[in-house]
Amino acid sequence: MMPIDRLADMEEKLRILEDLNMIYIRQIALSLKDSDIQKKIDYEIRMREGACKLLAACSQRDQALEASKSLLTCNARIMAYMSELQRMKEAQVMQRVARRSFDAGPMDDRSPCKGKVAISDLRIPLMWKDTEYFKNKGELHRCAVFCLLQLGGEIFDTDMVMVDRTLTDICFDNTIVFNEASPGFELRVELYSCCSEEDYSAGSTPRKLASKLSSSLGRSAGKKMRAALEPGACSTTSNGGGATILLPVPSVPGPKYHLLAHTTLNLSHVQDSFRTHDLTITGNEECSYWLPLYGGVCCRLAAQPHCMTQQMMSGCLRVKLGGEPQGWTNVYGVLKGTNLFCYHQKEDMEANVEPVLTIGINKETRIRAAEKDPHSKAQNICITNQYGGEEVTHTLAADSREDTQRWMEAFWQQFYDMSQWRQCCDDLMKIELPSPRKPAIVTPKQGSLYHEMVIDTSDDIGTVTDILAHRIEEFELRAQLGSPPHWMALFDEDPPRSPHTHQHLPPHSPSPRLHSRQPRSPRCHRTPGLLSSNASLTSDSDSPASISPCFRQAWSPDASSSSGRFRPRTLSLDAKLSTLRGRGYSGFRCNCQPPTASSVSPRPAQTALSCSSSTSSSTSSEGSNSQESDLGFSRPSSARRSLRNLRAKLDPRNWLQSQV
Amino acid sequence: QQRIEIHKLRDGDNLILGFSIGGGIDQDPSQNPFSEDKTDKGIYVTRVSKGGPAEVAGLRMGDKIMQVNGWDMTMVTHDQARKKLTKKNEDVVRLLVTRKSLENAVRQSMMQH
Repeated sequence: MMPIDRLADMEEKLRILEDLNMIYIRQIALSLKDSDIQKKIDYEIRMREGACKLLAACSQRDQALEASKSLLTCNARIMAYMSELQRMKEAQVMQRVARRSFDAGPMDDRSPCKGKVAISDLRIPLMWKDTEYFKNKGELHRCAVFCLLQLGGEIFDTDMVMVDRTLTDICFDNTIVFNEASPGFELRVELYSCCSEEDYSAGSTPRKLASKLSSSLGRSAGKKMRAALEPGACSTTSNGGGATILLPVPSVPGPKYHLLAHTTLNLSHVQDSFRTHDLTITGNEECSYWLPLYGGVCCRLAAQPHCMTQQMMSGCLRVKLGGEPQGWTNVYGVLKGTNLFCYHQKEDMEANVEPVLTIGINKETRIRAAEKDPHSKAQNICITNQYGGEEVTHTLAADSREDTQRWMEAFWQQFYDMSQWRQCCDDLMKIELPSPRKPAIVTPKQGSLYHEMVIDTSDDIGTVTDILAHRIEEFELRAQLGSPPHWMALFDEDPPRSPHTHQHLPPHSPSPRLHSRQPRSPRCHRTPGLLSSNASLTSDSDSPASISPCFRQAWSPDASSSSGRFRPRTLSLDAKLSTLRGRGYSGFRCNCQPPTASSVSPRPAQTALSCSSSTSSSTSSEGSNSQESDLGFSRPSSARRSLRNLRAKLDPRNWLQSQV
Repeated sequence: QQRIEIHKLRDGDNLILGFSIGGGIDQDPSQNPFSEDKTDKGIYVTRVSKGGPAEVAGLRMGDKIMQVNGWDMTMVTHDQARKKLTKKNEDVVRLLVTRKSLENAVRQSMMQH
């Protein structure tokens, strides 16, 4: 075992190496003048740091698992960007070389169009046997799993699923769409698993540190990177160690995912229905993260090449209709998918009017340029199809030679694309776009730190909540009705003093809507000083969470005139309110600018009087009127919520009644 | 809102009020049959014993208890609420309650503005 100071020393060295890494990465990106990739890398690095910090800070298991998953995904993305940078660098170099040697050969090759590839409804069957796989028979062996999908430079992760003996299949509901795939794509599917009972200590850290340090940076790093970033080696390894040369992961104690199975899909696997593919399983029964996989993965892999979904060519044409040699009709032609649509005019196409003529363009079609028509300047284009047993030929003509050439080129390209995309061009496959959801990097729930704070019920809090109750009564009703201010008169003796209050509001209280707040209402004995200092109130009250912001607004005018009833325990009040609610809430934000978005919501936007104990939420900051604490979470998985609801419904205890 | 004063009835060693409560911040509010807002975690009167002190004092089933002897009841756990009602040294509890009909009346008058 290494002495602790040497451990710290190595960690320090690791950090230096990491910084050097980043400089190196940025150098490459800069030299390529590709700020796009650079931005992406920077973003991922930031996300990674965030995930590491979270992993270190959180203690709840599912949070740690989510953070660990984010970390792994970030690493994978950084690796992918790096390899892309490398490729671009190489291509640049190659181009310079090619130019010099006038080697124009490969440049003229036709390249197929790109397309969308979507994978969805992933299902991995499991094969549980009675006692074989469990170290402790009787205990439920649980693992957290997720899939990492990589195509080209894009990497996505699915949601995390907890797996135990009660499941027969691992199902991932996500639909993942890759947008710019070429027909020769390789979609790598990796299943990562992490045992859910492990002790999350970094027991093997020193060894990993040592191995990382041994692969130091320097001139050799470039060569190593190239070697490591060959297509096969591109797969990410567990975030704890292994061959991640360029990104020594900071050794954060926490759950670590391991690669359990993988497979690679390509064009031949694309089909407009579900198919089962073989999985290559890594790991064995002895591993903690082992799950008895049946050996296959069932999914729907669909592809929409752009030649099927986009207009590849359009323009004015003349079509010979009927038998007459002179019977030319002007049309507006659009080449899309397996058809050449001929509209009466361009506007018809935009208006979705039916075309006057549709000519099929598919694998069986034959197109040739006819002999020069003595009556026109350019060659005719003859398109021959087999309809039933008959051959039908359409003759078209463009306005000029150049147009004819362009149309022929478009047809050739279409044929080429169809030959490359093969079965995807028979019919358009449907791809359901996933509903807009938050980006894949998920920040786990904030607020767990609140859970851990021990709060004793002190009388002070009772009195404070008493005061809050008064406000809650008023604001509950108001918030529910969208706050017409006049009815305040119902409750208060003083008439509303609308215009004035507005001025008193400090710059970062938003929502002019509440300007009718009158600061002095005798009925509600307030302690302005109390709430204005360290106003770390979370909106955890039961009734619409708009209450606390209203509080702060109300109090702020009087902030200066704090009365003697100032109570210094606001922090514990804050925590108490959080724990009372039983859920974390992502703190509050300091809006130091007039909130623009807040005017949209019917509820007043959230403000903070001071930013003292704000938990920085890396999910959306301004304008997110996340009054419903659900939105305050980054993403409580709906499955988890519905399960919780179900449990709550089934458990009769959950709405206790007591006789008094 | 109504103020209701209940005089506890001595039943042997116990002081009883003659009603039951439901709700609390630690309870699942969606199961509350009396609340209009299903996220309302307040304390509601779920049952009133016939002829008991609570009924006599004017408490009704479905009332939401806002305060008990000055203690807030809108943000308490179920157990805390129960404790506030069953203090052994108190013979009388003064409740501040809202009743649905009252709420509606208030709401209607607000709408008119």
